[in-house]
Amino acid sequence: MNLKGLLNSTTIADRILLFILILLSLSGIIFIKEVLPKGHIVWIEVNGHPVYLLPIEKDRIVSVNGSEGNTIVEIKNHKVRITESPCDNKLCIQQGWIEKGSIVCLPNRVVVIVGTPEDELNKRVDAITG
Amino acid sequence: MQSQDKYRIALLSAYALALHGFESLLPTPIPWLRLGLANIITLTTLILYGIRAALMVTLIRVVLASLFTGTFLGPAFILSLGGGVISTLSMGIVSSLMPRLFGPVGLSLIGALFHNSAQLFLAYVIFIQRIEAILFISPVIIFLGTLTGSVNGIVSDMLIKNLKKADEKIQN
Repeated sequence: MNLKGLLNSTTIADRILLFILILLSLSGIIFIKEVLPKGHIVWIEVNGHPVYLLPIEKDRIVSVNGSEGNTIVEIKNHKVRITESPCDNKLCIQQGWIEKGSIVCLPNRVVVIVGTPEDELNKRVDAITG
Repeated sequence: MQSQDKYRIALLSAYALALHGFESLLPTPIPWLRLGLANIITLTTLILYGIRAALMVTLIRVVLASLFTGTFLGPAFILSLGGGVISTLSMGIVSSLMPRLFGPVGLSLIGALFHNSAQLFLAYVIFIQRIEAILFISPVIIFLGTLTGSVNGIVSDMLIKNLKKADEKIQN
């Protein structure tokens, strides 16, 4: 079986179809990620209890009532930051904008996590001993 | 249906079933990637003996394979049945509407495309129900299907030529 015999046994329509399918699927593989929403959510917890579940696509500013006062969380351009916090060291504000991962404000007991919904489900505790 | 046709369908179904079983033993890098070797037999049957014979071979193969592996009437069976029937029908319809346009390779590509599309649709309806997950995986599956489909088409082409040669020898 040589290449020439192979080419002779395919029609022109065969080759066009093969070309179109490869082109479409490859461009699909490359571009589908851009088209689809990232699916990330912003998950805000106070004292270990979730208080907000927000889509990262939508710009908004929320105020979270922690143990020392109100923490202001800003979501903008698929990024999240803490703009105001009642804590002393302001580490959470210094951390700035994040796209994924988390910001923790220990004094005020506020945790901001950016991730997919699956991440949050997988993170649940299996068991507690002791 | 003549008795000769019945023998042919039984024999071809046995070949398809053997390939189906052999394929499920092969390790693949991705669990749901299948080579679709049984489609070689379906396509050969379609071109040599027509759409009814090909449909019979597909149905017998899918039902018997699921009985052997214990997935009869389960979700995997529904995916396998839907993909098999749709791909056979699509290849049959294209080859009867435009008999000279596509060779075995083109028909195999059409069969692979419809097989994968049908399975993606069924997977969406039955299991996943998240359109973004299906859209995300579709181009990958269709690309792999195009590769395996063209290889299967080439093998079918060789098989058909050899079978015709053998037929001529018997007649001479």
